[in-house]
Amino acid sequence: MAGIYLHIPFCVKKCAYCDFVSFPEGSVPQSYVDALLTELELVARSGSYPAAFNTVFFGGGTPSLLTGEQMQSILASLTAHFDIRESAEISMECNPGTVTPEKLAAYRTAGINRLSIGLQSTHDALLKSIGRIHTYQQFRETLQSAREAGFTNINADLMHGLSNQTEQYLESLNAVCDLGVQHISAYSLILEEHTPLFDCVERGEITPPDEDRVADMQDAGIDLLETRGYYRYEISNFAQEGYECRHNLNYWHNGEYLGFGVAAHAVVREKKWTRYANVSSLEEYYRLLTRGKRPLAETIRLAPRDEMFECIMLGLRLVRGVDRAAFAARFGFDVADAYPYAMEQLRKRAWIVETEQSIALNRKGLDLQNESLGFFM
Amino acid sequence: MAYPNELIRNFSIIAHIDHGKSTLADRMIEQTDTVAMRDMSEQLLDSMDIERERGITIKSSAVRMFYTHTDGKRYMFNLIDTPGHVDFNYEVSRALAACEGAVLVVDATQGIEAQTLANVYLAVDNGLEVVPVINKIDLPSAEPERTAQEIEDVIGIEAHSAPKISAKSGLNVDQVLAAVVKTVPPPVGDPDAPLTALVFDCFYDNYKGALSYVRVFDGTVRPGNRIRSMATGHEFEVTEVGVFTPAPMSVDELTAGEVGYIAASIKSVAETKVGDTITSADRPASKPLPGYKQANPMVFCGIYPADGAQYGDLRDALDKLRLNDASLSYEQETSNALGYGFRCGFLGLLHMEIVQERLEREFDLDLVTTAPSVIYKIVLTTGEEEMIDNPSNLPPVTEIEHLEEPVVNATIMTPSEYVGALMELCQERRGIFMDMNYIEESRVRIHYVLPLNEIIYDFFDQLKSRSRGYASFDYELKGYEKSDLVKLDFLLNGDVCDALSTIVHRDRAYAKGRAVAEKLCEVIPRQQFEIPVQAAIGGKIIARETVRAVRKDVLAKCYGGDITRKKKLLEKQKEGKKRMRQVGTVSLPSDAFMSVLRIN
Repeated sequence: MAGIYLHIPFCVKKCAYCDFVSFPEGSVPQSYVDALLTELELVARSGSYPAAFNTVFFGGGTPSLLTGEQMQSILASLTAHFDIRESAEISMECNPGTVTPEKLAAYRTAGINRLSIGLQSTHDALLKSIGRIHTYQQFRETLQSAREAGFTNINADLMHGLSNQTEQYLESLNAVCDLGVQHISAYSLILEEHTPLFDCVERGEITPPDEDRVADMQDAGIDLLETRGYYRYEISNFAQEGYECRHNLNYWHNGEYLGFGVAAHAVVREKKWTRYANVSSLEEYYRLLTRGKRPLAETIRLAPRDEMFECIMLGLRLVRGVDRAAFAARFGFDVADAYPYAMEQLRKRAWIVETEQSIALNRKGLDLQNESLGFFM
Repeated sequence: MAYPNELIRNFSIIAHIDHGKSTLADRMIEQTDTVAMRDMSEQLLDSMDIERERGITIKSSAVRMFYTHTDGKRYMFNLIDTPGHVDFNYEVSRALAACEGAVLVVDATQGIEAQTLANVYLAVDNGLEVVPVINKIDLPSAEPERTAQEIEDVIGIEAHSAPKISAKSGLNVDQVLAAVVKTVPPPVGDPDAPLTALVFDCFYDNYKGALSYVRVFDGTVRPGNRIRSMATGHEFEVTEVGVFTPAPMSVDELTAGEVGYIAASIKSVAETKVGDTITSADRPASKPLPGYKQANPMVFCGIYPADGAQYGDLRDALDKLRLNDASLSYEQETSNALGYGFRCGFLGLLHMEIVQERLEREFDLDLVTTAPSVIYKIVLTTGEEEMIDNPSNLPPVTEIEHLEEPVVNATIMTPSEYVGALMELCQERRGIFMDMNYIEESRVRIHYVLPLNEIIYDFFDQLKSRSRGYASFDYELKGYEKSDLVKLDFLLNGDVCDALSTIVHRDRAYAKGRAVAEKLCEVIPRQQFEIPVQAAIGGKIIARETVRAVRKDVLAKCYGGDITRKKKLLEKQKEGKKRMRQVGTVSLPSDAFMSVLRIN
């Protein structure tokens, strides 16, 4: 299993809570698409990448700012340079305010087979207050068009902790379940520094709900989704049977992936487990590619011990936990033998579920995942 | 060849903070060409950063100047600069004892302040002639005539002919120099009599060891002489004598009437005590100069390194500070909450603050300090008495007959419009009103008896804020009085946290207990379990709050681009936990202890 990530760092307007790398544009400049294609070629020529890929993911930013043609050209280049499996999951993120039925049809034709639509809430006033550019109605229209275009694997992103309204959040979840999407990502809002929302809170213009209220919301949301047939498979991700996001599962299994575009990341098995990060400035990205160089900002070669910790840190996000056989095959010993202290602490607190196949955190352990991970460090 | 006594003048300057003492000293140094202009800096005699920043003098220093008077004669001036603050009262009294006169500087826009008055009385008690000087007459709000009248009314010395100056611009500073010659009497003393030299301060020099700052009253001292400390009986051989220019400059001898320093390979300033009399080992004086006493610390607190691993560094830093500050005392103590640290004794609050600041600044230490405490007297049921400076050491209630606490005579001087607010403050602090009188129409002097433990934390700040900075305050220890005191403990998840224990008056215990418990709930981060925070007197719980358990501690999102960042975040979290103090089962951030201090 290996994946490819492509970053499209442009948005019509930045949301108030977002600290991702993105630049305000109404469309994706062709120069950026050209640069992406150059980068693809450069990496392909280097020969240092996994043999085959099962997933591709367009993230952002707002990938749905790409025209059908642009998408077509990128996917064509991808399949030309890399072995993308026939059965591959090819996802893109999509903002309801940026697509038409025609564009969605074009994406589908180009090869996209999974959509992840950013909704956040079904309440328009709330959407407006956090700087989203769409309404709930627009989301429903987009969903409708997507289905007409042939998409059968669709995710909706929802957020809680935006307001004090537990009822509003649960209403949003129910509404999306009613609409029958296959996958729901339900996040709690993270106040990141250097975002407009953070500044508002700092200035006291917005009082975010208190910790306990957010926890209540989250717990109620998990229960609701499970009863509606969306099982929790990761801390913030829920899916109908068989519709887990394979691209993201690869991250949590600590598998290899390539990353293209500004600020994209990659990890590949070289002599060591090696992480790459691209530059996060658009100018620098263009400049390096023009000179025929990979736009790398950082290369981190990890010691086995650190690679092992990453497997724990990522694997324990999954409700299924860390696969013992896979771990043993990768490192030569069992998880429990590698981390006796952590195991003891987790058992003592009853935060852990141990089976022959896996080691996983239970709901309490997942709630306090940071604390749980502390024992492995 | 000894300088003729009739041409020597030894004097100090007395002034309230910001009334211009150091500036006047600077001008005198300049106008006597003692220091070349290019070497001048502001507050020349205050060499410590902290002195310059706060505009205060902590250590005494001295400078020798030569002034040519209108009579054509060349006078030797020895100016001894003294700390003005009440904490250093004893040092001030010894510095004054080394002089024949004092220049009293009063700000023409402010009038006389409580501490100034205390120091003037000290000067008069020591038989000094006072030279009044009215400063800041160049300011628009200056009222020199009124200030002169106030000096006459309050102190009872003639002040209308006092020099009216601006130390800042140098205006009329020559009149001050002339007044010193005229008013301050020359020293009397016999250079051939047995040596008596008063130690008024000391300073640790890395090469020469402890330098004793002395005023020679009788006799002569030269390098090679054997000298004896009359307080300790220790004997030393003099390696160097010198004067202050203001930098130390060695000379052949110091004779009766002169001010300077003696170096005698003394290892620590603790061996050369302020107030001590130095005499000759071969031909000792029959009795020491009067006034020596051991300076006793009045205020205590625990000082701990924020990071337990810095204990050794803290000990070294205290050792070094003590080389230069004989009034700082400390001994090792152990707290169940804070680990290894020191119980430190200070002359007063300012002294405590200064030591803390110097430890943090000069030695780059992160400290945790516990609530300041005074020394309580415990009368046990057996009739025995015990003194304790740490609330944790209080014996069980059943063994205590009663408790006594130190009280002070406090003098407050304030513009009359703030009297109400200040009396309220004193009342809140369990003060007992003694009397009040008008110094003049709009200025009042109030006397209160106040428990020392009510003024050791933020009384001075409160006084200043409630009087918009106009009131001044001075106190002296009155003695011990019986009081209904109780030990207030705080329990975290059922365990007493000794570093938070305090002794308070019973009437205040409930309010204080509640306030501290609430504050602790704010500063203690949520942990994996619920933490009851309780305030208790003896076994009785008087307040209870709860730190709720953390319910979610997890990063909502983690995808391909987040992994490195997320790892760093976890490392930071782990690092933060390491710096927490473990009290029983509860992790406490170091600043929890400080935040509790700020409650009243």
